[in-house]
Amino acid sequence: MSEQLQQVLQNQQQQKEKQDKPDKEEGIVQLVCFMVDEEEFAVPILSIQEIIKPIETTRVPSTPDYVVGVFNLRGTVIPLIDLRLKFSREKSAYNDDTRFIVIKNKNQRSGFVIDKLTEAIRLKESDIGSAPESLGEEDNHIYGVGQREDRIVSILRIESILKRTF
Amino acid sequence: MDELQELTQDFLVEAFEMIEQLDQDLVELEARPDDLDLLNGIFRVAHTIKGSSSFLNFDVLTHLTHHMEDVLNLARKGEITIDQAIMDVVLESIDMMKALLVKIRDTGNDQDHGMDIEGIVTKLDAVSKGEDPEAAEAPAAQAPAESKPASTPAPENPLADEPEVDYSKMSDDEVEAEIERLLKVRQEEDKRRREEKIAAGESVPEPPKPPAEPKPAAEAKPEPAAQAPKAQEAPKPAAPKPAPKPAAKPAAKPAAKAAPAEMNVVEQTIRVDVNRLDHLMNLIGELVLGKNRLLKIYDDVEERYEGEQFLEELNQVVSSVSMVTTDLQTAVMKTRMLAIGKVFNKFPRMIRDLARELGKKIELKISGEETELDKSIVEVIGDPLVHIIRNSADHGVESTEDRIAAGKGETGIVNLKAYNEGNSIVIEIADDGKGLDADVLKSKALEKGVISEKEADAMSDKEAFALIFRAGFSTAAKVTNVSGRGVGMDVVKTNIEKLNGIIEVDSELGKGTVIKLKIPLTLAIIQSLMVGAQEEFYAIPLSSVLETVRISEEEIFSVEGRSVMRLRDEVLPLVKLSDIFGVEQVIEGGEHTYVVVLGLAESKLGLIVDTLVGQEEIVIKSLGEYLQGIEGVAGATIRGDGRVTLIVDVAALMQMAKKTKAPVTQQKQRKSKAKSEPSDYKILVVDDSKTDRTIMRQSISPLGVTLIEASDGVEALNIIKSGEHEFDACLIDIEMPRMDGYSLASEIRKYSRFKALPLIAVTSRTSKTDRMRGVEVGMTEYITKPYSPEYLMNVVKRNINFNMEMSA
Repeated sequence: MSEQLQQVLQNQQQQKEKQDKPDKEEGIVQLVCFMVDEEEFAVPILSIQEIIKPIETTRVPSTPDYVVGVFNLRGTVIPLIDLRLKFSREKSAYNDDTRFIVIKNKNQRSGFVIDKLTEAIRLKESDIGSAPESLGEEDNHIYGVGQREDRIVSILRIESILKRTF
Repeated sequence: MDELQELTQDFLVEAFEMIEQLDQDLVELEARPDDLDLLNGIFRVAHTIKGSSSFLNFDVLTHLTHHMEDVLNLARKGEITIDQAIMDVVLESIDMMKALLVKIRDTGNDQDHGMDIEGIVTKLDAVSKGEDPEAAEAPAAQAPAESKPASTPAPENPLADEPEVDYSKMSDDEVEAEIERLLKVRQEEDKRRREEKIAAGESVPEPPKPPAEPKPAAEAKPEPAAQAPKAQEAPKPAAPKPAPKPAAKPAAKPAAKAAPAEMNVVEQTIRVDVNRLDHLMNLIGELVLGKNRLLKIYDDVEERYEGEQFLEELNQVVSSVSMVTTDLQTAVMKTRMLAIGKVFNKFPRMIRDLARELGKKIELKISGEETELDKSIVEVIGDPLVHIIRNSADHGVESTEDRIAAGKGETGIVNLKAYNEGNSIVIEIADDGKGLDADVLKSKALEKGVISEKEADAMSDKEAFALIFRAGFSTAAKVTNVSGRGVGMDVVKTNIEKLNGIIEVDSELGKGTVIKLKIPLTLAIIQSLMVGAQEEFYAIPLSSVLETVRISEEEIFSVEGRSVMRLRDEVLPLVKLSDIFGVEQVIEGGEHTYVVVLGLAESKLGLIVDTLVGQEEIVIKSLGEYLQGIEGVAGATIRGDGRVTLIVDVAALMQMAKKTKAPVTQQKQRKSKAKSEPSDYKILVVDDSKTDRTIMRQSISPLGVTLIEASDGVEALNIIKSGEHEFDACLIDIEMPRMDGYSLASEIRKYSRFKALPLIAVTSRTSKTDRMRGVEVGMTEYITKPYSPEYLMNVVKRNINFNMEMSA
């Protein structure tokens, strides 16, 4: 955590130094933003395998409530995690905006339930602030906070949300 | 250098295969010392290994095998007779050879092995000189000096003297030329050596056989008359070797020339990487899923378009696809099959050694060694069998005196048998020894604290026999080198459980013991029993299902807070699948309930399920890294409708069942809240027509009750199931898309908490059969359109026990 943090800070430092001679192609990350409850989150676009509409899932016993179950993605069985419950928000029924985002990291794949997709953005690394210092479980999953003109998005740390904690 | 490594690999594979064969042959040889075919076969193995190892510069191995060859050669020519003493020396030397091969496999060379080769070489020499091998042990130190010139590596391998040439830097032509040159050197050397040997009066052995024999593992059947097949294999591998393998070619060619006469039948086999077969199996798995899906869709289509012309055509296509898929699956599965003889081969030798060690006379009879099993299973089955057979020989078969006293034949017989039974293979190990004593087993188990006194009392004989598989349990009065150290039989249990297998023990005191292992044929695609727990479905591997029974609630007894039932002469512990997996209780069970009797290794369990769906072929899929190792779940499969179904891990389930103490009988239902306002009453209106819904709304609105609308059956069912609203009645139209009113009603009635919910059909279907159907599916009232608003209101009022003043 602290190492990651340091790196972010370092990156920031570097970005600041470079600001005199701005390089447009450098330090740009592409993110996909989505809503979970009232908050906006984002994940790097390259970590997303696909985004699908809700399909039927099968409950898996002896798992925490945020593990909705498993679903069939063209022949592969993939676990599904409800981010609302994972982040200790109130459960809500699926609606027309609900999507499953399938995220991959190395050989691991998981689906995540989100409330609504918002947009895909390009963000300069310099616009990513460090995650807020707090002890909540949710914040361990946050890599940094991206600043947009009018709002902020929390960028999720992929390895962290894909890690099994039970 | 890589080529050499590859060659060494091939050599090792071949050598290990041959040694397996060798053990079997040697034991047979002891019984029939003058069987020339057998002797020739054994001689050839020693010879082949010698040839290959000298070629690969394994000097120590060459040295050893050379001396073995000498002894065997003499025996072959009838100059010495193999008696037990000589056999012991030969077997010892073969063990040494095995150890060297293992060493080569692990380290890549046979030097620095720290093993005493000379001792055994001296013994072998003594045998070939006609001396007593035991006497020869003393002058072992002088042995190296005595070793014959033929055993030194240089003349054995003329190419060894060649300077290392970097072939990779040569052009193709240069390589060819080099090959030609080396070949010549080799041939001349061979010729020279043969002449030399003839001059020396020795029989002329064939030139070294090439190491890269493509001999499939499955072929390694014990075949006493191994002469013919062995000879055919020899010349094979030369052809496919590409030019940059100069080492292989020169070696192979002389071999091909030497044995052309015997080469009338070419063996039709190739070696294939197991990974490729696994990949193929995965693809077939996908295909099987696709087939299941197709069958399911066909069923749906058939229902909808009954009697149409194209159905017949579709039927033909579907059944032919399904048949081809099944055949394909079987064919691919067969490529992964190995004869169990591969495992059985090592046992005759083991029994022989055991018998000598224990001072008993034991004969091992093997049958059904051609029975085939999946490769992955063959790999795991060896260890358990070793333990069981050792156990039979050690504890089962009595000493010779005891046997004579008991009026049995002097020689104890252990029968090892394999055969197919349905989708499983059964391996049976039977001895005619003293048998198991249930009472002794029980008291022993009590003494060791493996079971409690109560358990002991309740135990049947069969259950007592199964005690031998518990960890920390040994019945041997004295601990021998062979068994009785308290490990072993529980290894059997663990390994068999891993394979979803079943162990059965049967024994008669004084007559013998029979242990049966029942193992599924394959692991990737299995037959399963689909069961339902409330609304969820689970697949149970059919190999673990013994039977299914339907019992009434009165047949369930409670013992120490746990539920049991009586099944014939056994008491079967019961557990509810939905309790184990924490399935929400929504559907009320009837008076009768289904029990799936599970058997795994030696234990049994009755699993109460709500529905039995049927037998289905499933492909096992992993749940992925994230959900790995969930207790009680072995994996998942995708069913014909595309849904994921979890596969029950029967071994884990049995562990979980021990912890679940909840009685299996039904619990009470929740109570609904009291109504104080008219709006507390909630009515669901289901109709696909907006107009009709509005008419109904207007008719009932004077009551002031809350109305929720749904536009078809599926939507309505979801609203009801979600539990968001507590409905007091439903108004249901019959003709609706997706799910009609009849289906909706019968779906709703499946839930115990909706058993009393008034369902009012509102429809323009007026025929008597329609009304009858309504009653059948559980409709409370049947109103035909058109209706007067008052009439509808009154029906609703009556059904919801509305007893308030009208609000408007």
